Amino acid sequence: MSETASLLDHQSIWGPMAQQRVFRCLLEAFSYPGRIQSASLPALLATLGDSEISLADPDELVAADDWRRLGARREAADKANFVVARGDIDPAFQPAIGTLESPEQGATILLRVRKLGRGAKLKLSGPGIQDAIKLAVGGLDPAWLERRAQWNAGFPMGVDFILVDGEQFAALPRTVSIAGEA
Amino acid sequence: MNPGYELPLEEAGYSFGFLDEYAKREVRRAILKAISIPGYQTPYASREMPMGRGFGTGGLQLTLALVGPEDRLKVIDQGADDSVNAVNLRHFVEMTCPGMDTTEHTRAATLIQSRHRIPEVPLRENQILVLQVPYPDALVVVESSEARRKTMHGEGDYARLLTRLYEDIVRFDEITIAHRYPTRIAGHYVIDPSPIPRYDLPKLHRAAALTLLGAGREKKIYAVPPYTDAEPLAFDDVPFRIEDFRDAAGRRCACARCGASDSFLDELIGDDGAKSWQCSDSDYCNEQLAVRNPQEAVHI
Ligand SMILES: [Zn+2]
Repeated sequence: MSETASLLDHQSIWGPMAQQRVFRCLLEAFSYPGRIQSASLPALLATLGDSEISLADPDELVAADDWRRLGARREAADKANFVVARGDIDPAFQPAIGTLESPEQGATILLRVRKLGRGAKLKLSGPGIQDAIKLAVGGLDPAWLERRAQWNAGFPMGVDFILVDGEQFAALPRTVSIAGEA
Repeated sequence: MNPGYELPLEEAGYSFGFLDEYAKREVRRAILKAISIPGYQTPYASREMPMGRGFGTGGLQLTLALVGPEDRLKVIDQGADDSVNAVNLRHFVEMTCPGMDTTEHTRAATLIQSRHRIPEVPLRENQILVLQVPYPDALVVVESSEARRKTMHGEGDYARLLTRLYEDIVRFDEITIAHRYPTRIAGHYVIDPSPIPRYDLPKLHRAAALTLLGAGREKKIYAVPPYTDAEPLAFDDVPFRIEDFRDAAGRRCACARCGASDSFLDELIGDDGAKSWQCSDSDYCNEQLAVRNPQEAVHI
């Protein structure tokens, strides 16, 4: 890809038409958990975020320029609506899980992993999944799955995950049960 | 698709879909939370729309947050694409979303906005059904305080609703609720499924397609994700039943126009006072007519 093309491509994630397309990928990802969709972390943030959300970036994965374009409020990972974090290291925070009356206030965690489609296989079941589906994830510290199970133990409270590698992502809403596979 | 919409410039899509981009993002964030918490009435900041509430502004805001130039939209009201309300909504979306196609065919649609009915033809994966909801909260009949209703929903406590339902059944010896029958989603939240008949509820259960419900006045969005349990409330001794359209002799009535005996029927009274039946889903009726009487079928 030429430098000009990549520049335009990057700019386009801030445009309404690109965001509509990325949103439909997000909609499909949340409707059918575990199915891999195409979009990068900056494109997901551009589609979901603006000055009306709070964002935590404890591992500094969001570029300064993207922060500027988003205009999101910086917030601690324990309180933010959205958290971007590295999936290959232990979670070092306790995200918002919402309340019984307002469970939508549980955080959305965008977890950076090395590779989707290759790696340890997770067996998923729950709403949006006909029977069970396998999702291969490379570079995910198993501690995340343990903590996720704890955070989501009291439905409807919980957190929703988006796993994202370089160009792809998959969603794990709080309703999804995950079993590891040997 | 119009190649003009491929322009990677922010201006390319400016004003597409009527809502400003902040409003769309807010609705979109609420939609994803609604899918993540099946059946939960997710609050959002409903915007003023250039038509009265009650004309489906909740459904319209969902549609406008979803739709893109690659979509084919179908709008249904009372089962038909040609009712005044459906035509007005369709024109509004066509006007504000240049490049998008519309269709009357359920099978051809990517996005279906509806009031009163779920199409007869089972929806596929990645088709999206948007239902307009006038009254989103099934608990409002037993609890007037919204704060207390939210707690009851959170706890999945529907004892009072079940009691009310049972009292009705004991009194009338029959399920008397024709529309908006309370339905439990994924074993937790009970929803008001919008003014669809009981007949349509089994279509929600473990459907391949996503259903989104929008209430503009109450500013709520909720969802029935694909492959998710949707169970109408029922009792061991009084099972849930759909309308069966049987005549006095116990025979299943058929549509007088297309002959189908497997669809939801509207009663028609002729000039002579005689009763007959016709499919409420006009696209299904046309399709059946084309299959059964190719000669008489209207050109569709
Ligand atoms: Zn018919």
